[in-house]
Amino acid sequence: MSKLNLLQINDLTKKYYNKTALSNVSLNFEPGKIYGLLGPNGSGKTTLMKVVAGLHKQTSGNVLINDEELSYKTKAYVSYMPTENFMYDSFKVIDIVKFYNDMYKDFRIDYALNLINEININLNYKISNLSSGQVAKLKSVIALSRDASIYMLDEPLNGVDVLSRDAIMDIITKSNNENKVIIISTHLVSEIEKILDTVIFLKDGIVEVFGDAEELRQSRQLSVEGLYKEVFRNA
Amino acid sequence: MLKLIKLEFMRKSKFIAMTLITAVALNMYLITRGPAGSTMFLVLFPPALFVAYLIDIIKMYSEDINKKTGYMLFMTPNSGYKIISSKLFTAVLEGLAILLIYFIFILINGAYIIISTGAEVDYSQLISVVDRFISGNFGFSLGHVFVILLTALTLLIAFITTVYTAMTIRKSIFSEIKFGGLLSFIIFLLINWALSSASNKFFDIISPYYDSIGSGAAGGITPEKLAMGLLPMIAVSIIQAIVLTGFSGYLLEKKINL
Repeated sequence: MSKLNLLQINDLTKKYYNKTALSNVSLNFEPGKIYGLLGPNGSGKTTLMKVVAGLHKQTSGNVLINDEELSYKTKAYVSYMPTENFMYDSFKVIDIVKFYNDMYKDFRIDYALNLINEININLNYKISNLSSGQVAKLKSVIALSRDASIYMLDEPLNGVDVLSRDAIMDIITKSNNENKVIIISTHLVSEIEKILDTVIFLKDGIVEVFGDAEELRQSRQLSVEGLYKEVFRNA
Repeated sequence: MLKLIKLEFMRKSKFIAMTLITAVALNMYLITRGPAGSTMFLVLFPPALFVAYLIDIIKMYSEDINKKTGYMLFMTPNSGYKIISSKLFTAVLEGLAILLIYFIFILINGAYIIISTGAEVDYSQLISVVDRFISGNFGFSLGHVFVILLTALTLLIAFITTVYTAMTIRKSIFSEIKFGGLLSFIIFLLINWALSSASNKFFDIISPYYDSIGSGAAGGITPEKLAMGLLPMIAVSIIQAIVLTGFSGYLLEKKINL
């Protein structure tokens, strides 16, 4: 495994009908860092994550995870939390936990049960009976309970109350270590910028900015949110 | 594979429970109308159950590739071949379970009909009837039932794989094309047309051989001869199922856009 290239994206293009969602995107993700994938709706953030998660096939270009081409095997390295509620409505919370435990060798069931207890969700509740905020918290907890190499969280703070946001951010930072890459997509830039090491601004499927968050703050004399507003003001 | 099959049954446990409760309630209601009600249940139950079964096995796959809940399954490190095969196995197991349940209903309703006529149930006579049936004394034996069930099973699997393949094509090759749904339906019809043409050609080639077997038959057809007669159909269905499952697995693996 190359330490410097846990995730490599080379000339990635993704087209739908006549729309180009991603255009020649090239990015390298180093372990030990939290990346912010930022951009307005329709900028290609979710598409990029879905390609890496193996849910969408790229039109051209390639993605390497641990130096392996994308395949069903690379899904074992990636823990992806989609922005949508993807959990089976008819399942109870405990069924979701058991499902993850069955399907992923790296799933830490005790860790998951502990976190679910911390966010006050009853294991016997059905997914269909949870509020949108509870679903959002549960999705994050389940995704972060895997001991994966790459975590991709698509809008993890959407629909989550202010107090729970801190809890989720806390779990995210605890999950980070020198062997892992964490990629967070969000439009709540001010909330998340304090935990970001590197930021990527996507605009119409093109990488507009890619750099160290602290260096950008110093060189532009702006917060990441300020820079975001400047870049996307006319988007 | 077993974990995937377990998942499928967990997901459809509600459907199975509801179907069973409905069937039992309907049977109890019709039984109150006497033996005619029981007979009506035994006649109407199979087609209704078959339609429900077909809808369920199609839904089992279409929900995964058309709804966001499909991410649960497709995010897992399982190959496309494994995923589609697990769905086929689930469909077959579900079909066999339904057959078993119907057989139980036949036994219960059959016993009720006999008892309601006032006749004493003569178990030794019943055993003798079963014995004669197994020995083929009615011109129709357990062997015939087995051959017909096997043929029905392979035809069913071939049908399911064709439907699954059309849906997979829609979400892979045609996922980025307008009118992809329509194109997939046309593809489904084309696959069926191509397969039936190939089957007909195959049957034409081997028919002289089978005609010679048929001309030698005296009296009722034996299970062996029935099996030989249906063998081409079974073989074509198995080949069709293997090819289409492989193709769908490849598309899930290499081209899917959920």
